[in-house]
Amino acid sequence: MRILCAIGQSDGPQIIQRLANMLGNQHEIYLLHVLDPGPRLGLEEYLHNPGPVQRRRALPLEKTQALDAAEQSASQAVLAEAIEAAQSAGFSVSGEIQRGKPEQMIVQTARTWRSQLIAIRASEGTQGRPQIGPASVGHTARFVLDHAPCDVLLLRGP
Amino acid sequence: MLQLIIGILIFGLTLGTILVRPYRISEALAAAVGAVLMLLAGILPFTQALQVLKGEWNIYGFFLGLMTISAVADRAGIFNSLAAQAGHWAGGSVRRLYLAIFIIGALITAFLSNDATALILTPAVFALVTRLRVPALPFMFACTFIADTASFLLPVSNPINILVLDQFGGGLGIFLHYLVLPALFCIVLNTTLFLWLFRADLRRTYAIKDLPPAAPPDLSFFRFTLAALGIIAVAFVLASVFQVPLSLVALGGAVLLLVGARRSSHLEWKRLGKEISWSLFIFISGMFLVIQGVENLGLTGLFGGSLMRLAGSSPLRAVLFTAAGSALGANLINNVPMALVMISALRAINASAPANLGLVYATILGCDLGPNLTTVGSLATILWLLILRRKGLEISSLEYFKLGILVVPLMIAAGAILIWLVR
Repeated sequence: MRILCAIGQSDGPQIIQRLANMLGNQHEIYLLHVLDPGPRLGLEEYLHNPGPVQRRRALPLEKTQALDAAEQSASQAVLAEAIEAAQSAGFSVSGEIQRGKPEQMIVQTARTWRSQLIAIRASEGTQGRPQIGPASVGHTARFVLDHAPCDVLLLRGP
Repeated sequence: MLQLIIGILIFGLTLGTILVRPYRISEALAAAVGAVLMLLAGILPFTQALQVLKGEWNIYGFFLGLMTISAVADRAGIFNSLAAQAGHWAGGSVRRLYLAIFIIGALITAFLSNDATALILTPAVFALVTRLRVPALPFMFACTFIADTASFLLPVSNPINILVLDQFGGGLGIFLHYLVLPALFCIVLNTTLFLWLFRADLRRTYAIKDLPPAAPPDLSFFRFTLAALGIIAVAFVLASVFQVPLSLVALGGAVLLLVGARRSSHLEWKRLGKEISWSLFIFISGMFLVIQGVENLGLTGLFGGSLMRLAGSSPLRAVLFTAAGSALGANLINNVPMALVMISALRAINASAPANLGLVYATILGCDLGPNLTTVGSLATILWLLILRRKGLEISSLEYFKLGILVVPLMIAAGAILIWLVR
Protein backbone atom coordinates (compact mmCIF):
# COMPACT_ATOMS: atom_id res chain seq x y z
CA MET A 1 0.00 0.00 0.00
CA ARG A 2 1.15 3.54 -0.74
CA ILE A 3 0.94 5.45 2.52
CA LEU A 4 1.39 9.18 2.74
CA CYS A 5 2.62 9.95 6.19
CA ALA A 6 2.17 13.55 7.35
CA ILE A 7 4.78 14.31 9.97
CA GLY A 8 5.00 17.25 12.32
CA GLN A 9 7.95 18.82 14.08
CA SER A 10 8.86 15.93 16.32
CA ASP A 11 6.38 13.07 15.90
CA GLY A 12 7.83 11.35 12.81
CA PRO A 13 9.43 8.33 14.55
CA GLN A 14 6.34 7.68 16.73
CA ILE A 15 4.04 7.72 13.71
CA ILE A 16 6.29 5.28 11.86
CA GLN A 17 6.43 2.98 14.86
CA ARG A 18 2.68 2.92 15.18
CA LEU A 19 2.21 2.27 11.47
CA ALA A 20 4.66 -0.61 11.66
CA ASN A 21 2.81 -2.07 14.64
CA MET A 22 -0.60 -1.68 13.04
CA LEU A 23 0.01 -2.52 9.39
CA GLY A 24 3.40 -4.21 9.24
CA ASN A 25 6.26 -2.95 7.12
CA GLN A 26 5.33 -4.25 3.67
CA HIS A 27 4.27 -0.84 2.45
CA GLU A 28 5.65 2.08 0.53
CA ILE A 29 5.83 5.18 2.69
CA TYR A 30 6.05 8.77 1.53
CA LEU A 31 7.02 11.12 4.35
CA LEU A 32 5.72 14.65 4.00
CA HIS A 33 6.75 17.48 6.29
CA VAL A 34 5.13 20.79 5.52
CA LEU A 35 6.83 23.95 6.64
CA ASP A 36 4.08 26.31 7.66
CA PRO A 37 5.03 29.91 6.80
CA GLY A 38 2.35 31.18 9.21
CA PRO A 39 4.49 31.78 12.31
CA ARG A 40 7.20 33.44 10.24
CA LEU A 41 4.68 35.72 8.57
CA GLY A 42 3.34 36.53 12.00
CA LEU A 43 6.80 37.53 13.19
CA GLU A 44 7.45 39.68 10.15
CA GLU A 45 4.05 41.32 10.47
CA TYR A 46 4.76 42.00 14.14
CA LEU A 47 8.12 43.57 13.35
CA HIS A 48 6.48 45.79 10.76
CA ASN A 49 3.82 46.90 13.17
CA PRO A 50 4.88 46.24 16.74
CA GLY A 51 2.65 48.75 18.45
CA PRO A 52 4.42 51.95 19.45
CA VAL A 53 5.65 53.92 16.46
CA GLN A 54 9.28 54.10 17.55
CA ARG A 55 9.61 50.34 17.29
CA ARG A 56 8.93 50.03 13.59
CA ARG A 57 11.98 48.84 11.68
CA ALA A 58 12.43 46.45 8.78
CA LEU A 59 13.98 43.03 9.29
CA PRO A 60 17.51 43.13 7.84
CA LEU A 61 18.35 40.67 5.08
CA GLU A 62 20.77 38.87 7.35
CA LYS A 63 17.96 38.13 9.81
CA THR A 64 15.76 36.82 7.04
CA GLN A 65 18.59 34.52 5.98
CA ALA A 66 19.11 33.36 9.58
CA LEU A 67 15.42 32.52 9.85
CA ASP A 68 15.55 30.67 6.52
CA ALA A 69 18.54 28.68 7.75
CA ALA A 70 16.81 27.83 11.04
CA GLU A 71 13.69 26.65 9.23
CA GLN A 72 15.72 24.60 6.80
CA SER A 73 17.83 23.00 9.49
CA ALA A 74 14.76 22.12 11.55
CA SER A 75 12.80 20.62 8.67
CA GLN A 76 15.78 18.63 7.42
CA ALA A 77 16.24 17.20 10.90
CA VAL A 78 12.54 16.28 11.00
CA LEU A 79 12.74 14.44 7.70
CA ALA A 80 16.06 12.77 8.44
CA GLU A 81 14.79 11.43 11.78
CA ALA A 82 11.63 10.04 10.21
CA ILE A 83 13.47 8.48 7.26
CA GLU A 84 15.86 6.77 9.62
CA ALA A 85 12.99 5.45 11.73
CA ALA A 86 11.16 4.19 8.64
CA GLN A 87 14.26 2.49 7.23
CA SER A 88 15.02 0.74 10.47
CA ALA A 89 11.39 -0.40 10.67
CA GLY A 90 11.91 -1.96 7.22
CA PHE A 91 9.65 0.26 5.14
CA SER A 92 10.43 1.31 1.61
CA VAL A 93 10.59 5.06 2.16
CA SER A 94 10.94 8.38 0.40
CA GLY A 95 9.95 11.87 1.43
CA GLU A 96 10.09 15.60 0.97
CA ILE A 97 9.74 18.96 2.64
CA GLN A 98 7.16 21.37 1.31
CA ARG A 99 6.25 24.90 2.20
CA GLY A 100 2.67 26.09 2.46
CA LYS A 101 -0.56 25.49 4.31
CA PRO A 102 -0.08 21.98 5.72
CA GLU A 103 -3.66 20.81 5.19
CA GLN A 104 -3.66 21.79 1.52
CA MET A 105 -0.21 20.45 0.80
CA ILE A 106 -1.07 17.08 2.34
CA VAL A 107 -4.25 16.67 0.28
CA GLN A 108 -2.50 17.84 -2.87
CA THR A 109 0.44 15.49 -2.38
CA ALA A 110 -1.89 12.58 -1.65
CA ARG A 111 -3.48 13.23 -5.03
CA THR A 112 -0.29 13.62 -7.06
CA TRP A 113 1.53 10.74 -5.39
CA ARG A 114 -1.67 8.64 -5.70
CA SER A 115 -1.55 7.52 -2.12
CA GLN A 116 -3.95 4.85 -0.93
CA LEU A 117 -3.85 5.95 2.68
CA ILE A 118 -2.95 9.12 4.55
CA ALA A 119 -1.64 8.67 8.09
CA ILE A 120 -1.99 11.80 10.19
CA ARG A 121 -2.01 12.73 13.86
CA ALA A 122 -5.29 14.09 15.24
CA SER A 123 -3.37 17.13 16.34
CA GLU A 124 0.29 17.93 16.41
CA GLY A 125 0.81 18.87 20.00
CA THR A 126 -1.54 16.61 21.88
CA GLN A 127 -0.35 17.65 25.31
CA GLY A 128 -3.15 19.53 26.97
CA ARG A 129 -5.61 18.69 24.23
CA PRO A 130 -8.50 16.36 24.96
CA GLN A 131 -7.97 12.87 23.52
CA ILE A 132 -11.56 12.68 22.33
CA GLY A 133 -14.32 15.18 21.79
CA PRO A 134 -14.87 18.15 19.49
CA ALA A 135 -11.52 19.81 20.24
CA SER A 136 -9.47 16.64 19.82
CA VAL A 137 -8.97 16.87 16.05
CA GLY A 138 -6.87 19.85 14.99
CA HIS A 139 -7.49 22.08 12.02
CA THR A 140 -5.05 20.31 9.71
CA ALA A 141 -6.32 16.78 10.40
CA ARG A 142 -9.93 17.93 10.13
CA PHE A 143 -9.30 19.48 6.72
CA VAL A 144 -7.53 16.33 5.54
CA LEU A 145 -10.45 14.17 6.73
CA ASP A 146 -12.82 16.35 4.78
CA HIS A 147 -10.83 16.63 1.57
CA ALA A 148 -8.61 13.56 1.27
CA PRO A 149 -8.85 11.67 -2.04
CA CYS A 150 -8.23 8.37 -0.22
CA ASP A 151 -8.67 6.66 3.15
CA VAL A 152 -7.34 8.44 6.19
CA LEU A 153 -5.81 6.84 9.26
CA LEU A 154 -6.28 9.23 12.17
CA LEU A 155 -3.74 8.61 14.89
CA ARG A 156 -4.85 9.62 18.34
CA GLY A 157 -2.91 10.20 21.50
CA PRO A 158 0.75 11.01 21.98
CA MET B 1 -12.32 80.94 20.76
CA LEU B 2 -11.74 80.30 17.06
CA GLN B 3 -8.11 79.52 17.77
CA LEU B 4 -9.18 77.04 20.46
CA ILE B 5 -11.45 75.24 18.02
CA ILE B 6 -8.76 75.20 15.33
CA GLY B 7 -6.23 73.91 17.86
CA ILE B 8 -8.53 71.11 18.97
CA LEU B 9 -9.18 70.23 15.32
CA ILE B 10 -5.44 70.08 14.53
CA PHE B 11 -4.77 67.96 17.62
CA GLY B 12 -7.69 65.62 16.84
CA LEU B 13 -6.73 65.35 13.19
CA THR B 14 -3.09 64.53 14.03
CA LEU B 15 -3.98 61.88 16.59
CA GLY B 16 -6.76 60.51 14.38
CA THR B 17 -4.35 60.13 11.46
CA ILE B 18 -1.78 58.40 13.66
CA LEU B 19 -4.47 56.07 14.95
CA VAL B 20 -6.25 55.23 11.69
CA ARG B 21 -3.41 55.82 9.21
CA PRO B 22 -5.64 56.48 6.19
CA TYR B 23 -3.90 55.70 2.87
CA ARG B 24 -1.05 54.35 5.03
CA ILE B 25 0.07 57.90 5.84
CA SER B 26 3.11 57.58 8.09
CA GLU B 27 2.89 58.74 11.69
CA ALA B 28 5.91 60.97 11.09
CA LEU B 29 4.14 62.80 8.27
CA ALA B 30 0.96 63.17 10.33
CA ALA B 31 2.91 64.63 13.27
CA ALA B 32 4.92 66.95 11.02
CA VAL B 33 1.78 68.27 9.28
CA GLY B 34 0.12 68.76 12.68
CA ALA B 35 3.11 70.77 13.87
CA VAL B 36 3.15 72.94 10.73
CA LEU B 37 -0.59 73.59 11.10
CA MET B 38 -0.08 74.63 14.74
CA LEU B 39 2.57 77.10 13.55
CA LEU B 40 0.42 78.41 10.67
CA ALA B 41 -2.59 78.86 12.94
CA GLY B 42 -0.48 81.04 15.19
CA ILE B 43 -1.11 78.77 18.18
CA LEU B 44 2.58 78.00 18.44
CA PRO B 45 5.01 80.88 17.87
CA PHE B 46 8.00 79.94 15.74
CA THR B 47 10.53 80.99 18.37
CA GLN B 48 8.81 78.83 20.98
CA ALA B 49 8.83 75.91 18.57
CA LEU B 50 12.58 76.24 18.15
CA GLN B 51 13.02 76.46 21.88
CA VAL B 52 10.94 73.32 22.47
CA LEU B 53 12.94 71.32 19.96
CA LYS B 54 16.22 72.61 21.37
CA GLY B 55 15.12 71.64 24.86
CA GLU B 56 14.62 68.02 23.84
CA TRP B 57 18.17 67.35 22.64
CA ASN B 58 18.62 64.69 25.32
CA ILE B 59 15.91 62.45 23.92
CA TYR B 60 17.14 62.80 20.33
CA GLY B 61 20.67 61.92 21.38
CA PHE B 62 19.43 59.04 23.48
CA PHE B 63 17.40 57.51 20.65
CA LEU B 64 20.25 57.91 18.17
CA GLY B 65 22.87 56.51 20.53
CA LEU B 66 20.78 53.60 21.67
CA MET B 67 19.70 52.55 18.19
CA THR B 68 23.35 52.58 17.12
CA ILE B 69 24.44 50.56 20.17
CA SER B 70 21.72 47.96 19.52
CA ALA B 71 22.59 47.73 15.82
CA VAL B 72 26.32 47.20 16.49
CA ALA B 73 25.63 44.73 19.32
CA ASP B 74 23.38 42.80 16.96
CA ARG B 75 26.07 42.84 14.28
CA ALA B 76 28.57 41.42 16.78
CA GLY B 77 26.18 38.53 17.39
CA ILE B 78 25.39 39.40 21.01
CA PHE B 79 21.67 38.67 20.74
CA ASN B 80 22.07 35.39 18.84
CA SER B 81 24.76 34.31 21.24
CA LEU B 82 22.63 35.10 24.29
CA ALA B 83 19.74 33.12 22.83
CA ALA B 84 22.05 30.17 22.10
CA GLN B 85 23.54 30.37 25.60
CA ALA B 86 20.04 30.23 27.03
CA GLY B 87 19.51 27.07 24.99
CA HIS B 88 22.64 25.48 26.44
CA TRP B 89 21.81 26.56 29.97
CA ALA B 90 18.28 25.17 29.79
CA GLY B 91 19.74 21.75 28.91
CA GLY B 92 16.81 20.52 26.82
CA SER B 93 13.94 21.74 28.98
CA VAL B 94 11.64 24.09 27.08
CA ARG B 95 10.31 25.41 30.38
CA ARG B 96 13.78 26.40 31.54
CA LEU B 97 14.50 27.92 28.15
CA TYR B 98 11.34 30.00 28.49
CA LEU B 99 12.45 31.21 31.89
CA ALA B 100 15.93 32.01 30.57
CA ILE B 101 14.46 34.07 27.73
CA PHE B 102 12.43 36.06 30.25
CA ILE B 103 15.59 36.77 32.26
CA ILE B 104 17.64 37.72 29.19
CA GLY B 105 14.77 39.85 27.89
CA ALA B 106 14.50 41.67 31.21
CA LEU B 107 18.26 42.34 31.31
CA ILE B 108 18.44 43.56 27.71
CA THR B 109 15.42 45.79 28.28
CA ALA B 110 16.85 47.15 31.52
CA PHE B 111 20.15 48.25 29.96
CA LEU B 112 19.47 48.59 26.23
CA SER B 113 15.80 49.61 26.38
CA ASN B 114 12.62 47.92 25.30
CA ASP B 115 13.13 48.22 21.55
CA ALA B 116 16.28 46.12 21.62
CA THR B 117 14.28 43.27 23.14
CA ALA B 118 11.14 43.68 21.05
CA LEU B 119 12.90 44.13 17.72
CA ILE B 120 16.25 42.37 17.95
CA LEU B 121 15.88 39.67 20.60
CA THR B 122 12.49 38.52 19.24
CA PRO B 123 13.78 37.40 15.81
CA ALA B 124 16.91 35.88 17.41
CA VAL B 125 14.79 33.81 19.78
CA PHE B 126 12.38 32.95 16.98
CA ALA B 127 15.25 31.56 14.91
CA LEU B 128 16.50 29.59 17.91
CA VAL B 129 13.18 27.96 18.76
CA THR B 130 12.48 27.22 15.10
CA ARG B 131 15.79 25.37 14.97
CA LEU B 132 14.95 23.53 18.16
CA ARG B 133 11.50 22.61 16.84
CA VAL B 134 9.78 24.25 19.75
CA PRO B 135 6.49 26.20 19.34
CA ALA B 136 7.43 29.78 18.58
CA LEU B 137 4.35 31.61 19.75
CA PRO B 138 4.90 31.46 23.53
CA PHE B 139 8.42 32.76 22.95
CA MET B 140 7.21 35.63 20.82
CA PHE B 141 4.83 36.56 23.58
CA ALA B 142 7.65 36.33 26.12
CA CYS B 143 9.97 38.66 24.18
CA THR B 144 7.40 41.23 23.21
CA PHE B 145 5.84 41.35 26.68
CA ILE B 146 9.01 41.47 28.72
CA ALA B 147 10.16 44.37 26.52
CA ASP B 148 7.36 46.44 28.03
CA THR B 149 7.13 44.80 31.44
CA ALA B 150 10.80 45.32 32.28
CA SER B 151 10.92 48.80 30.81
CA PHE B 152 10.68 50.69 34.09
CA LEU B 153 13.49 48.88 35.88
CA LEU B 154 15.91 51.73 35.11
CA PRO B 155 15.54 55.17 33.52
CA VAL B 156 17.37 53.85 30.44
CA SER B 157 14.97 50.93 29.97
CA ASN B 158 12.48 52.94 27.94
CA PRO B 159 12.86 56.29 26.12
CA ILE B 160 9.48 57.28 27.61
CA ASN B 161 11.13 57.28 31.05
CA ILE B 162 13.67 59.82 29.83
CA LEU B 163 10.97 61.99 28.25
CA VAL B 164 9.20 62.15 31.60
CA LEU B 165 12.29 62.40 33.80
CA ASP B 166 13.73 65.23 31.68
CA GLN B 167 10.77 67.32 32.82
CA PHE B 168 10.51 66.35 36.45
CA GLY B 169 14.09 65.48 37.34
CA GLY B 170 14.88 63.02 40.07
CA GLY B 171 17.90 60.76 40.25
CA LEU B 172 18.14 57.01 40.20
CA GLY B 173 17.35 56.86 43.92
CA ILE B 174 13.89 58.37 43.53
CA PHE B 175 13.25 56.38 40.35
CA LEU B 176 14.07 53.11 42.09
CA HIS B 177 12.18 54.15 45.20
CA TYR B 178 9.00 54.43 43.19
CA LEU B 179 9.47 51.85 40.47
CA VAL B 180 11.79 49.03 41.51
CA LEU B 181 9.11 47.16 43.43
CA PRO B 182 6.43 47.56 40.75
CA ALA B 183 8.98 46.55 38.09
CA LEU B 184 10.12 43.40 39.89
CA PHE B 185 6.57 42.51 40.83
CA CYS B 186 5.32 42.94 37.26
CA ILE B 187 8.21 40.89 35.84
CA VAL B 188 7.54 38.02 38.26
CA LEU B 189 3.80 38.25 37.63
CA ASN B 190 4.27 38.30 33.87
CA THR B 191 6.68 35.37 33.90
CA THR B 192 4.57 33.26 36.25
CA LEU B 193 1.34 33.89 34.36
CA PHE B 194 2.90 33.05 31.01
CA LEU B 195 4.55 29.91 32.36
CA TRP B 196 1.09 28.83 33.47
CA LEU B 197 -0.73 30.00 30.37
CA PHE B 198 1.58 28.20 27.94
CA ARG B 199 2.25 25.27 30.29
CA ALA B 200 1.14 22.63 27.82
CA ASP B 201 3.55 23.84 25.15
CA LEU B 202 6.39 24.24 27.59
CA ARG B 203 6.19 20.68 28.88
CA ARG B 204 8.34 19.49 25.99
CA THR B 205 12.02 18.93 25.57
CA TYR B 206 14.41 19.69 22.74
CA ALA B 207 17.57 17.99 21.55
CA ILE B 208 20.81 19.70 22.59
CA LYS B 209 22.36 18.62 19.27
CA ASP B 210 19.92 20.91 17.44
CA LEU B 211 21.35 23.98 19.19
CA PRO B 212 23.25 26.40 16.98
CA PRO B 213 26.90 27.02 17.92
CA ALA B 214 27.13 29.68 20.63
CA ALA B 215 30.40 31.03 19.21
CA PRO B 216 29.94 34.29 17.29
CA PRO B 217 31.40 34.79 13.80
CA ASP B 218 34.19 37.16 14.97
CA LEU B 219 35.22 36.31 18.52
CA SER B 220 37.45 39.32 19.17
CA PHE B 221 34.81 41.81 17.94
CA PHE B 222 32.23 39.93 20.02
CA ARG B 223 34.38 40.16 23.16
CA PHE B 224 35.06 43.83 22.56
CA THR B 225 31.35 44.55 22.11
CA LEU B 226 30.45 42.58 25.21
CA ALA B 227 33.00 44.49 27.29
CA ALA B 228 31.84 47.80 25.82
CA LEU B 229 28.22 46.94 26.62
CA GLY B 230 29.26 46.21 30.20
CA ILE B 231 30.92 49.62 30.43
CA ILE B 232 27.90 51.31 28.85
CA ALA B 233 25.55 49.58 31.32
CA VAL B 234 27.61 50.76 34.30
CA ALA B 235 27.83 54.24 32.78
CA PHE B 236 24.05 54.35 32.37
CA VAL B 237 23.57 53.51 36.04
CA LEU B 238 26.16 56.05 37.18
CA ALA B 239 24.73 58.73 34.89
CA SER B 240 21.29 58.07 36.39
CA VAL B 241 22.70 58.40 39.90
CA PHE B 242 24.49 61.68 39.19
CA GLN B 243 21.79 62.95 36.85
CA VAL B 244 24.09 63.29 33.87
CA PRO B 245 22.03 63.37 30.63
CA LEU B 246 21.69 59.76 29.43
CA SER B 247 22.08 60.83 25.83
CA LEU B 248 25.75 61.55 26.53
CA VAL B 249 26.28 57.97 27.67
CA ALA B 250 24.27 56.57 24.78
CA LEU B 251 26.16 58.63 22.20
CA GLY B 252 29.51 57.98 23.87
CA GLY B 253 28.75 54.26 23.96
CA ALA B 254 27.73 54.35 20.31
CA VAL B 255 31.01 56.04 19.35
CA LEU B 256 32.98 53.48 21.37
CA LEU B 257 31.23 50.61 19.60
CA LEU B 258 31.58 52.25 16.19
CA VAL B 259 35.32 52.63 16.72
CA GLY B 260 35.54 48.96 17.68
CA ALA B 261 33.44 47.95 14.68
CA ARG B 262 35.63 50.00 12.39
CA ARG B 263 38.80 48.45 13.76
CA SER B 264 37.38 44.99 13.21
CA SER B 265 36.13 46.00 9.74
CA HIS B 266 32.52 45.44 10.72
CA LEU B 267 31.39 48.99 10.16
CA GLU B 268 29.05 49.52 7.22
CA TRP B 269 27.59 53.01 7.34
CA LYS B 270 24.94 52.29 4.74
CA ARG B 271 23.68 49.31 6.61
CA LEU B 272 23.81 51.10 9.94
CA GLY B 273 21.86 53.96 8.43
CA LYS B 274 19.13 51.54 7.45
CA GLU B 275 18.87 50.12 10.94
CA ILE B 276 18.20 53.52 12.49
CA SER B 277 14.62 54.65 12.32
CA TRP B 278 15.11 58.22 11.07
CA SER B 279 11.42 58.95 10.71
CA LEU B 280 11.15 58.56 14.46
CA PHE B 281 12.93 61.89 14.92
CA ILE B 282 10.38 63.63 12.70
CA PHE B 283 7.55 61.88 14.56
CA ILE B 284 8.68 62.91 18.04
CA SER B 285 9.58 66.45 16.90
CA GLY B 286 6.13 66.85 15.36
CA MET B 287 4.49 65.52 18.50
CA PHE B 288 6.53 67.85 20.76
CA LEU B 289 5.23 70.82 18.78
CA VAL B 290 1.62 69.66 18.48
CA ILE B 291 1.40 68.99 22.23
CA GLN B 292 3.08 72.35 22.97
CA GLY B 293 0.37 73.98 20.86
CA VAL B 294 -2.31 72.19 22.87
CA GLU B 295 -0.57 73.27 26.06
CA ASN B 296 -0.53 76.88 24.86
CA LEU B 297 -4.29 76.69 24.50
CA GLY B 298 -4.54 75.56 28.11
CA LEU B 299 -6.06 72.20 27.21
CA THR B 300 -3.52 69.95 28.90
CA GLY B 301 -3.74 72.17 32.00
CA LEU B 302 -7.50 71.58 32.04
CA PHE B 303 -6.84 67.86 31.64
CA GLY B 304 -4.42 67.92 34.58
CA GLY B 305 -6.93 69.83 36.67
CA SER B 306 -9.71 67.39 35.90
CA LEU B 307 -7.38 64.51 36.72
CA MET B 308 -6.81 66.04 40.14
CA ARG B 309 -10.53 66.66 40.68
CA LEU B 310 -11.34 63.12 39.62
CA ALA B 311 -8.84 61.82 42.11
CA GLY B 312 -10.38 64.04 44.78
CA SER B 313 -8.72 63.62 48.12
CA SER B 314 -7.57 60.05 47.52
CA PRO B 315 -3.92 59.73 46.46
CA LEU B 316 -4.48 56.04 45.65
CA ARG B 317 -7.26 56.92 43.25
CA ALA B 318 -5.06 59.60 41.67
CA VAL B 319 -2.21 57.14 41.10
CA LEU B 320 -4.55 54.44 39.77
CA PHE B 321 -6.31 56.85 37.41
CA THR B 322 -3.02 58.25 36.15
CA ALA B 323 -1.51 54.81 35.51
CA ALA B 324 -4.64 53.36 33.91
CA GLY B 325 -5.34 56.52 31.91
CA SER B 326 -1.76 56.65 30.60
CA ALA B 327 -1.91 52.98 29.67
CA LEU B 328 -5.19 53.36 27.82
CA GLY B 329 -3.97 56.51 26.08
CA ALA B 330 -0.70 54.83 25.14
CA ASN B 331 -2.76 52.26 23.28
CA LEU B 332 -5.18 54.66 21.71
CA ILE B 333 -2.79 57.34 20.51
CA ASN B 334 0.64 55.72 20.85
CA ASN B 335 2.84 56.07 23.90
CA VAL B 336 4.97 59.08 22.90
CA PRO B 337 2.07 61.52 22.41
CA MET B 338 0.35 60.13 25.50
CA ALA B 339 3.45 60.65 27.61
CA LEU B 340 3.75 64.20 26.26
CA VAL B 341 0.11 64.97 27.07
CA MET B 342 0.59 63.60 30.59
CA ILE B 343 3.84 65.54 31.08
CA SER B 344 2.12 68.74 30.06
CA ALA B 345 -0.87 68.02 32.32
CA LEU B 346 1.38 67.12 35.25
CA ARG B 347 3.41 70.30 34.76
CA ALA B 348 0.20 72.27 35.13
CA ILE B 349 -0.53 70.72 38.51
CA ASN B 350 3.02 71.08 39.81
CA ALA B 351 3.76 67.37 39.84
CA SER B 352 7.34 67.90 41.02
CA ALA B 353 5.96 68.58 44.49
CA PRO B 354 6.68 65.55 46.68
CA ALA B 355 2.97 64.92 47.26
CA ASN B 356 2.37 64.60 43.51
CA LEU B 357 5.56 62.82 42.52
CA GLY B 358 3.77 59.46 42.61
CA LEU B 359 1.72 60.65 39.64
CA VAL B 360 4.88 61.16 37.58
CA TYR B 361 5.93 57.58 38.19
CA ALA B 362 2.39 56.32 37.66
CA THR B 363 2.57 57.99 34.23
CA ILE B 364 5.81 56.15 33.47
CA LEU B 365 4.23 52.89 34.61
CA GLY B 366 1.14 53.39 32.47
CA CYS B 367 2.95 54.56 29.33
CA ASP B 368 5.54 51.76 29.61
CA LEU B 369 3.17 48.89 30.36
CA GLY B 370 0.28 50.09 28.24
CA PRO B 371 1.71 49.00 24.87
CA ASN B 372 1.43 45.40 26.07
CA LEU B 373 -2.28 45.75 25.37
CA THR B 374 -1.48 46.72 21.79
CA THR B 375 0.88 43.76 21.62
CA VAL B 376 -1.94 41.49 22.69
CA GLY B 377 -4.07 43.18 20.08
CA SER B 378 -1.60 42.91 17.23
CA LEU B 379 -0.34 39.45 18.11
CA ALA B 380 -3.91 38.37 18.68
CA THR B 381 -5.17 39.36 15.30
CA ILE B 382 -2.06 38.37 13.40
CA LEU B 383 -1.05 35.21 15.12
CA TRP B 384 -4.11 33.87 16.76
CA LEU B 385 -6.04 33.75 13.54
CA LEU B 386 -3.03 32.73 11.50
CA ILE B 387 -1.41 30.07 13.58
CA LEU B 388 -3.26 28.95 16.64
CA ARG B 389 -6.31 27.54 14.93
CA ARG B 390 -4.29 25.93 12.21
CA LYS B 391 -1.52 24.44 14.27
CA GLY B 392 -3.80 23.54 17.13
CA LEU B 393 -1.66 25.21 19.74
CA GLU B 394 -2.82 24.35 23.21
CA ILE B 395 -4.44 27.59 24.16
CA SER B 396 -8.17 27.95 24.29
CA SER B 397 -9.76 31.19 23.25
CA LEU B 398 -10.87 31.75 26.81
CA GLU B 399 -7.32 31.48 28.07
CA TYR B 400 -6.18 33.82 25.38
CA PHE B 401 -8.84 36.31 26.34
CA LYS B 402 -7.62 36.11 29.92
CA LEU B 403 -4.15 36.97 28.75
CA GLY B 404 -5.18 40.31 27.32
CA ILE B 405 -7.95 41.13 29.72
CA LEU B 406 -6.23 39.96 32.86
CA VAL B 407 -2.46 40.20 32.66
CA VAL B 408 -2.00 43.80 31.54
CA PRO B 409 -4.58 45.51 33.80
CA LEU B 410 -3.44 43.31 36.67
CA MET B 411 0.14 44.50 36.22
CA ILE B 412 -0.95 48.14 35.95
CA ALA B 413 -3.18 47.96 39.03
CA ALA B 414 -0.56 46.13 41.11
CA GLY B 415 2.17 48.52 39.96
CA ALA B 416 0.04 51.58 40.76
CA ILE B 417 -0.80 50.26 44.23
CA LEU B 418 2.89 49.65 44.91
CA ILE B 419 3.72 53.20 43.80
CA TRP B 420 1.03 54.48 46.13
CA LEU B 421 2.39 52.38 49.00
CA VAL B 422 5.96 53.69 48.72
CA ARG B 423 5.07 57.31 47.96
